[in-house]
Amino acid sequence: MEQEIMADIQSQATAATSTSSGPAAMQLRNVAVSFNGRTAVRNCTFDVGKNRVTSLIGPSGSGKTTLLRALNRLHDLTPGAKVSGEILLEGVDVYRGDITATELRARVGMVFQRPNPFPTMSIYDNVISGLRFNGIKKKSLLDAAAESSLRSAALWESVENRLKVPASNLSGGEQQRLCIARALAMDPEVLLMDEPTSALDPIATLRIEELMTTLKSRVSVVIVTHNMQQAARISDDCAFLLMGEDRTGELIEFDTTEKIFNNPDDSRTLDYTLGRFG
Amino acid sequence: MARVPSELRRDDEVVAEFNSATTSRSWYRNLLIVAAVLFAVVSVGFVGTILWSSLPMWLHHAGTLLWGKGWNAPVGPFGGLAMITGTVETSLIALLIAIVIGLGTSIAIVFVIPRRLRNVVATLVELLAAVPSIVYGLWGLLVIAPWMQNTVNPWLNSWPFATTIFGNPGQEFGTSLLLASVVLGIMILPTFVAISREVLAVVPQDLVEASLSLGATRWQVIREVVIPTSKVGLLGATFLSLARATGETVAVALVAGGVANAQFHLLYPGTSIAAWIATQFGESQSTEIPALMALGVLLMLLNFGLSLLSRSLVNRQRRLLALV
Repeated sequence: MEQEIMADIQSQATAATSTSSGPAAMQLRNVAVSFNGRTAVRNCTFDVGKNRVTSLIGPSGSGKTTLLRALNRLHDLTPGAKVSGEILLEGVDVYRGDITATELRARVGMVFQRPNPFPTMSIYDNVISGLRFNGIKKKSLLDAAAESSLRSAALWESVENRLKVPASNLSGGEQQRLCIARALAMDPEVLLMDEPTSALDPIATLRIEELMTTLKSRVSVVIVTHNMQQAARISDDCAFLLMGEDRTGELIEFDTTEKIFNNPDDSRTLDYTLGRFG
Repeated sequence: MARVPSELRRDDEVVAEFNSATTSRSWYRNLLIVAAVLFAVVSVGFVGTILWSSLPMWLHHAGTLLWGKGWNAPVGPFGGLAMITGTVETSLIALLIAIVIGLGTSIAIVFVIPRRLRNVVATLVELLAAVPSIVYGLWGLLVIAPWMQNTVNPWLNSWPFATTIFGNPGQEFGTSLLLASVVLGIMILPTFVAISREVLAVVPQDLVEASLSLGATRWQVIREVVIPTSKVGLLGATFLSLARATGETVAVALVAGGVANAQFHLLYPGTSIAAWIATQFGESQSTEIPALMALGVLLMLLNFGLSLLSRSLVNRQRRLLALV
């Protein structure tokens, strides 16, 4: 039984992976994150492929979310947080290069664990909130962006006639797709997703997963997930992180999803994907 | 009954267990019932006697009380207009002062100053809210009053329409409605900051992060996400502060001037409902007491209304955030 499930996951991984490794949307070079001098995750070197889905997998405490939040400088909010190494977006170091945190975040969007639409805004206002933050006021532009990103998030048909109702009227799955639409409206180069389906039911989860594979043409995706089958189904590349003896997470292996699930270099990767721990 | 982790048990099971435990020690249960009944009797008695002793005023002179201009003790008429307008004017100006300074302060506490200083400042603000009002009144009289008389009032009198708003220069005194408003504003400021700080602080962090992740600046996050999200709660803080201002007695009695003049000139002396009751009661005769009691009823109703309003607003805020 277990072997059957594994075979299934492995075949999904093979199907999901497109093999060519093209240009990189983001490059991580020896990235480490520490809080008040204590390192939470380190040794992270890999490329986020352009128009590919990259998943960060690993047990709790391995630093997946911490690493993800370094990519759009959300740790800037946390006193005592420090990111070292290099994170390059189109060759520009996002921490030391000629780019502000605000500019970076407009180009690298994020979707969170819990759906978090702005509770006081309508569906429409939620979608275009990022554009408004960035000073776009022209109604025709905002309308067009709202429609196109709601379509990309597979939400347009169901909300077309109630764009002005509060976003809180939507179901959890719809709210999460609204949050995806909100991020897409900025036309980001990279979309970071932090366990975007962990608060959703299986059907809503499936819809988000389907969405991610179509989004690839528009944006490069980095997703943190606890769900091995999800990683196998949707991602092209996988980064496997693990917490070491010193309770610091580090990158164990990065490769195509097919290789990580079928034939990884490190035995710990195989143990984890086989469900032997974590 | 089997021990089940409390989160797994239904409320009625918990109640049933509690009841069975208390019936076995029924004296304890009876004590609780006596206490509750006693509380109900005291509350009803309190409101009832106040209403009863003000009844003659409501029956025969309600119009005078609400609109009448002069207060002629001990024979009457007893006109409450000066006290009512004084209460409204001073409370609203005080509220304006508290909102402008207070909102800035709470935003600074929650979002600007370093985390380590945050609790220190918040505690200091709450200590200020606990300072007895007589101290504020004394300070207003000894420090603010001379400053206003020498510096602020001449400047205000140079404004256009100054006579309309503030009254004729030269007729003002050390104590005035404006002085009372300023002192009240400073008094309710800590209350407003303490509540609005908590309202702002419970705005979920993931909304802040979501807006930052869309390329919002810190100021945009505050203006377009944090404040709209906490709007209802901030309104609740406003009404609670207003309730505190309308009920404030000693400080206003000291600095407002204690004159029952129904006028709107802010630099003239005036009074408020609470201050008037406090200053008149000591030497009042039986003819005046129903009028003072009736003023008390007015103030009580006003504060009931404000409390109910702010409570419902704070609950609405809670429900809004529960949806997030």
